[in-house]
Amino acid sequence: MPKRIALTDHVEVDTTDLSDFARQVQVTMSHAQIDVSGFNPAGSNEYLAGATTESVQVDFYGSYGTGEVHQTLYPIFKGRTVVAFAWRPDGANPVGVNNPELRGNVQVFDYGPGAQRGAEDTFQVTFMAVDAAGLDFFTT
Amino acid sequence: MTRYRVTSSTPFAGYPPGAVFDADLDPELEQRAIERGSITITEQAEEGSDDAEADRAH
Repeated sequence: MPKRIALTDHVEVDTTDLSDFARQVQVTMSHAQIDVSGFNPAGSNEYLAGATTESVQVDFYGSYGTGEVHQTLYPIFKGRTVVAFAWRPDGANPVGVNNPELRGNVQVFDYGPGAQRGAEDTFQVTFMAVDAAGLDFFTT
Repeated sequence: MTRYRVTSSTPFAGYPPGAVFDADLDPELEQRAIERGSITITEQAEEGSDDAEADRAH
């Protein structure tokens, strides 16, 4: 797949397409790095991969219309609801090997829209994976 | 099977605003989507759908 300029990404929360209201997506997947080092001649550390934490941070434009960002995300936050999340690089084309889609069941633990005079209304939302399936990339 | 109309300005389940589609949505997802105005129910068990045909057969 060639290098790309991110322009046509697809962002879906709770089956609602919020692509037009999103301008940045950052996926974070990490395993806890557990130090299991013992004494050894080289003095080297030894690690095991521990628990996995997965999340997606999205920059949204604040929008308050029917079915838009606030009306989609705030009830999810308020109700502590677990919903489906999906992101793929090319929303104009189907999911495939060259267009993998990140999917998972997520929850919103913090919600903080805001505003600044004269500036575009944007805020960040972090979607945390909250079940055993986690977030994963699918090619079908 | 239920028939829905997308009533928000944002696409829903891959359908553009104004589109009508048939689906078996999870009840909780359906309730959230209706409450935020993403969709409305237009009809239950459409004529010609598998469910309607099954009902007529009995």
